[in-house]
Amino acid sequence: MNKNELQERNEILSEANKARWDLGVNFHDTVIEAIYEDASRIARKTVKQQGEKAAYSLDLKIDKIVTSRWLGFPLMFLMLAVVFWLTVAGANYPSGLLASFLIDYMHPILKQAAASINMPWWLDGVLIDGAYLAMAWVIAVMLPPMAIFFPLFTLLEDLGYLPRVAFNMDSMFRRAGAHGKQALTMSMGFGCNAAGVIAARVIDSPRERLIAIITNNFSLCNGRWPTQILIATIFIGSLVPAGIAGFVSAGAVVGIAILGIFFSLVVSWGLSKSVLKGEASAFSLELPPYRPPRILQTIYTSLIDRTVFVLWRAIVFAIPAGVVIWLVANIHIADLSLAEHFIQWSGPFALVFGLNGVILLAYIIAIPANEIVIPTVLMLTVLSTGTHGMGEGTGVIFELDSVGDTANILHAGGWTLLTGINLMLFSLLHNPCSTTIYTIYKETRSVKWTMVSTFLPIVLGFIVTFFTTQIWYLWFS
Amino acid sequence: MIKFIILSIPPGSMIVAGFAVLGIIFWIFWPKRGLLALLQKIKMNNERVQLEDALKYLFDCEYNSNMCNMNSIAGNLNISDDKAGQLIERLLSMGLITMDNQNISLTDTGKSYSLRVIRVHRIWERYLADETSIAQADWHNEADRIEHFVTREDTEKLAAQMGNPVFDPHGDPIPSIDGDLPEPKGKLLNHMKEGESGQIIHIEDEPRSIYEQLVAQGLYPGMPVFVTGVDNGKIIFAANGDECILTPLFAAQITVEALSDKTPVSAKHELLSSLELGERAEIAGISPNCRGQQRRRLMDLGVVPGSMVSAEMKSASGDPVGYRVMGTTIGIRKQQADLIFIHKNNDDTKK
Repeated sequence: MNKNELQERNEILSEANKARWDLGVNFHDTVIEAIYEDASRIARKTVKQQGEKAAYSLDLKIDKIVTSRWLGFPLMFLMLAVVFWLTVAGANYPSGLLASFLIDYMHPILKQAAASINMPWWLDGVLIDGAYLAMAWVIAVMLPPMAIFFPLFTLLEDLGYLPRVAFNMDSMFRRAGAHGKQALTMSMGFGCNAAGVIAARVIDSPRERLIAIITNNFSLCNGRWPTQILIATIFIGSLVPAGIAGFVSAGAVVGIAILGIFFSLVVSWGLSKSVLKGEASAFSLELPPYRPPRILQTIYTSLIDRTVFVLWRAIVFAIPAGVVIWLVANIHIADLSLAEHFIQWSGPFALVFGLNGVILLAYIIAIPANEIVIPTVLMLTVLSTGTHGMGEGTGVIFELDSVGDTANILHAGGWTLLTGINLMLFSLLHNPCSTTIYTIYKETRSVKWTMVSTFLPIVLGFIVTFFTTQIWYLWFS
Repeated sequence: MIKFIILSIPPGSMIVAGFAVLGIIFWIFWPKRGLLALLQKIKMNNERVQLEDALKYLFDCEYNSNMCNMNSIAGNLNISDDKAGQLIERLLSMGLITMDNQNISLTDTGKSYSLRVIRVHRIWERYLADETSIAQADWHNEADRIEHFVTREDTEKLAAQMGNPVFDPHGDPIPSIDGDLPEPKGKLLNHMKEGESGQIIHIEDEPRSIYEQLVAQGLYPGMPVFVTGVDNGKIIFAANGDECILTPLFAAQITVEALSDKTPVSAKHELLSSLELGERAEIAGISPNCRGQQRRRLMDLGVVPGSMVSAEMKSASGDPVGYRVMGTTIGIRKQQADLIFIHKNNDDTKK
């Protein structure tokens, strides 16, 4: 383009811009509205609809029930309870199978193979006891629940029921300044926070989407349910007679999950009143017609898109973490391993929050997956108390079949009822696992919001455990 | 040995210390009054900011053919007369203004400088209105804060992203990049006579307290008005079928452009939120108070003038309500349904 043309173009542009002042403020809207108006008028004249009415009236009858004032919420809770029950109950057996294959069967074989080729002890430790074992744990405990939960959830979505849940729950989220669809990402978060963060794509306005992403970590995910159940059984169930112990500890776990929902709403409210005040907001919720779910397709896509995807990310992070776990337990400086140094150094500070050094270290090095927190805690406790005859060896994470034995190790590590309660709170309120953090970064493309989502829960966790502990001391001293 | 000292602190003092730490954190981050907000305020009071604000004010005076002097500058910028005097001397030495007796007027350099600042201000106001959910009364202050600290390139990028808007959300024209601005149009609402009609083209956003009340009354640029009477200086007019009464002080904040080709709007629009379950109506329009994304989203879904809408179901908690429009059901909150106008035709309200 030569100089003259450029000048001419700029003149025309500035002329055009000046002309736009005369068109007035409503010009754009008038154009858009006129186009739509014409289109819909033509459509009304020329398009005839057949047969849609009858099918729709059935939809309306179903909607009358699932959104009714009295039945809406109970139906919803029933539906979610069934999904969770199927997940927890159904995952037990395949998890056991996977664990016995990958850990009880494959691990010794690999160790033997390593010995037969005279692999140095440290390489064998890093690769097999560290990397391999962490990966095996993650697959064994993560795969079955996700393979059950995600297809079930996707089926409900495909059926058209989930949008109705969002429709019913919206008023609660509206008061918190959030989007009704956050109810969906929240429930998805009960399966896996990383998947819940991805699910926040259904929210079209940026502000509400960020709120949903940041608060998703307050949904107690699959990886944390077993921790909660184990600790509740050991420390809270033992307070009451054996007959009702199961019931009471289950109640405690549900209580923690509800506390999570409460935090999710309160934090949403706080965010939308402060840092996220300025972000654009828009609300609309499509309520698609009900349709028979395409079962095979749903299972296939949810397994590929969600389960394998999330599992792959978890494995990628678990392998280096396994290496780190093994190394901190095996590298010695002046008679003590790195792990012991950290545990002894941080112990007094951790006590202020009613936790201990083992828990802090476990949450730092087991960041790839909440599933390996308890095995890591057990390994570290055995290591730091010097208990003999328990566990699999230095730096080898393990879990025990008997709850009683686990309790013995923890009591030997100096755990009290307060430690148990605080661990349950801290398990709810701590940084998301590295898979989720990475997913948040992928979804928001912002280091700032990734940092907020990571550190906000952990700060809250320290505040809550601090006050719980100090009030507890005050009460019982 | 710090760690053992920590353990010997009694829990009572620990709780107090905990609350103190929490309090300090809250104080730092508290909006408007916290430490960060205070630092922001100090930053705002620097010289350049005051200089640019003074130029903006002077330009506004000239544009509306008002006189201005040192006192009115001091009043507008909320600084002492002494400070205003210093400011004027500085402006004079920079060759941005000339003084004739007490009257101050802008030189050409001063004018183009102030137009640049005004362009940035109004583009940011447009952005805040359309792309964020900042409250309407805060647009002006927020843009006032931003305008001094953004680069020109960033603002132009923003303008290009929004399709080079030519009006700010209050109805003021945005100066072009070359510093052109159209002649002021329309007349003030307090000068209108009975029977005259027109369209609001501008609502003055300062002072904020008056602006807030006008906004609360539901007035917006683009709104058709029809003056039904003038009583004791008070202006009585119909806006969207609602009767409004404004005192001259308030009416003088509103500029109206006469409309020749349109019949006065006296019929009141009904709101979508007033539709009972099972009723049907035709959509008449979306209020201009519903902007940006939200507006685009509603239009995408078929909420446009002429399409039929019916209320189908209420959620278990009563809000939102599911409306059927163009063959799909969408849930809309009451807050949004209040911004959608409908016509109820009595002959086909029942299906």
